[in-house]
Amino acid sequence: MKVLNLARMVVSLRGLPKKWQITIYLLAGLAAGLALFISRISNAASYLSESPQTCMNCHVMTDAYASWQRGSHGRVTVCNDCHVPHTNPVAKYAFKASDGLKHSYVFTFRLEPQALDLSKGAKPVVQDNCVRCHSQVLEMIRLSDSSQRKCWDCHNNIHGPIHGISSSPAELRPELPNAGLGINGKGDN
Amino acid sequence: MSESNVNNSTKSGQVPNLPLWAGVAIAVLAAGAIFLLGLLAVSIMERRWESQRPVMVLKPVADYEPDSANWGVNYPRQYDSYLKNRVSDTNTKFGGASHRDYLETDPRKVILWTGSAFSKDYLQARGHYYAIEDVTNSKRVSVPFQAATCWTCKGTDVPRMMAKMGVKEFYAGNFHDLKNEMTHPVGCRDCHDPQTMKLQITRPALREAFAVMGADINSVTHQQMRSLVCAQCHSEYYFRTDESAGMKNYLVFPWKNGTGAEAILSYYNDINFTDFVNPISKTPMIKVQHPDYETYLTGIHAYRDVSCADCHMPYRTEGGSKFTDHHVQSPLLNISASCAVCHRWSEDEMRVRVEAIQTKMQDSLIAAEDALVEAHFDIAAASQAGVSDNDLSQPRRLLRDAQFYWDYISSSNGMGFHSPTESMRITGLSIDLAQQARVLMARLLAEKGVSKQPAYPDISSRQNASQVSQQFTEGRQTKLLP
Repeated sequence: MKVLNLARMVVSLRGLPKKWQITIYLLAGLAAGLALFISRISNAASYLSESPQTCMNCHVMTDAYASWQRGSHGRVTVCNDCHVPHTNPVAKYAFKASDGLKHSYVFTFRLEPQALDLSKGAKPVVQDNCVRCHSQVLEMIRLSDSSQRKCWDCHNNIHGPIHGISSSPAELRPELPNAGLGINGKGDN
Repeated sequence: MSESNVNNSTKSGQVPNLPLWAGVAIAVLAAGAIFLLGLLAVSIMERRWESQRPVMVLKPVADYEPDSANWGVNYPRQYDSYLKNRVSDTNTKFGGASHRDYLETDPRKVILWTGSAFSKDYLQARGHYYAIEDVTNSKRVSVPFQAATCWTCKGTDVPRMMAKMGVKEFYAGNFHDLKNEMTHPVGCRDCHDPQTMKLQITRPALREAFAVMGADINSVTHQQMRSLVCAQCHSEYYFRTDESAGMKNYLVFPWKNGTGAEAILSYYNDINFTDFVNPISKTPMIKVQHPDYETYLTGIHAYRDVSCADCHMPYRTEGGSKFTDHHVQSPLLNISASCAVCHRWSEDEMRVRVEAIQTKMQDSLIAAEDALVEAHFDIAAASQAGVSDNDLSQPRRLLRDAQFYWDYISSSNGMGFHSPTESMRITGLSIDLAQQARVLMARLLAEKGVSKQPAYPDISSRQNASQVSQQFTEGRQTKLLP
């Protein structure tokens, strides 16, 4: 009850002079509008989807996208099939959210390395997903439940032999979806 | 009226009033949130913009524009990274961009190069940015005359002056006369076309060498150009003087018989070329100059079509834009962007593996140096024992070839890493030939009744080695016979 009262107090701005109330509501409205705008230009809604296009909303993943699309996995899987857990929906979205937050932090502050590698947390997830689909092939292989070796220690070509985030020429990069109003329309160069 | 309202609600006790400071705090927080959201929005839009408009030419670059800063206006990322070539304190185990003094660390070189300016001054080269400054300060440049050819690889004023003076005339001039024209170090104009930014060959020697080999330098791929622009300077060369052809100190790459070490040596032997005579053994020597490109061609990276730039100037991605890192440096200083793109191991593991290869290479080079130094002294001792020049011609020929092969690897950058097995093979050739010479010397000395080892002088420090070098140069040689 107390918490609810406190919330009502803050939201209603009760007791403040009218001018203050108008100013604060105006600012809050601006912030909300800006947040909407950002969710539009950052294609935020797409993060709830399964589409591989989502992963290259920022430019770090364009080479991973290009190499996936042209590789054997491009015909049968999407990014999420390998890179997020599929044990249950909660684990999946929790992983997606924490990964996404980390990525947006790294990208915004320009901390991205030039050659990407799986993070410590991502390794068991991808390994589980390899086994999830390829379990039949692995039945006869004793290493399949080894915690020492990962599938990609040998099959290191899944995303092609080159791993730099600039390994495909810029012209080959998939275009970003239009952000609206044509201000960032694609193909205008 | 308002007062009573306020009192009413307070009395009802459900929703209390906010104090004024809370309003201020909320407003400040909201404003801060808008500020941060604005920054984020701008960041996102900038990144999108970068990926769509990678290049904008603000100011067209003039033909022969030597000042890289004027190119940098249009290509800020490339130029910013180019400016990092000013770094001159980096060191890897065997290389880097600092002025490492090779003669201090290895006094054998003083003996091997006695008779050439390299025995006086031989520092590890700093970055491209210091090309003009370092050649100007080098003690290897003699006064009052030094071939102007020495400017050829030092800066962006060279293409301009060659166009103005003519290539033959440029080479034939005096280094010191061109000092005022040469003010911009190696930069954009050396590799790029000012209009299209395409890579281009600006130095005639490489063009001419391709023509002599019957190869067409205009029909190479972009990927090959990413090595060939480096090969314009990072190759073995000599100065050709041929009055009948009107050539004086004309820069030539000795590739007529091919670009392998044996092919280059056979070319020099065919024309009886001599850079200097080592006064210790009175042997006519060849001084090899960084055959980096030729060595690279024999290695696995060249076989896989990996270019010089792929490792020494790797691509970078910053935000939405991809560009070539113009800070030219040892890949060991930039392993994650350079090696790790293809080789998926940790930086430490990569460094350890590379240094292991280089350390083995250095061990072999030092073994070759020891054999070469003793061969020089063996011949000097035989001469003192009265062995005729005629009898000494064969061992001198062996020693000349042996030192060529050693220098071929020693003077190359990368401590053999550009092509480890080939570098080891050539160093092996050097050791073999040097020891063959020493076997001959042992026989010739035996014929004169000398069966003991000559008294090799102490060259364990640069000072001692320089002293010995000086004595032989002045003809006051120490007695080597036991």
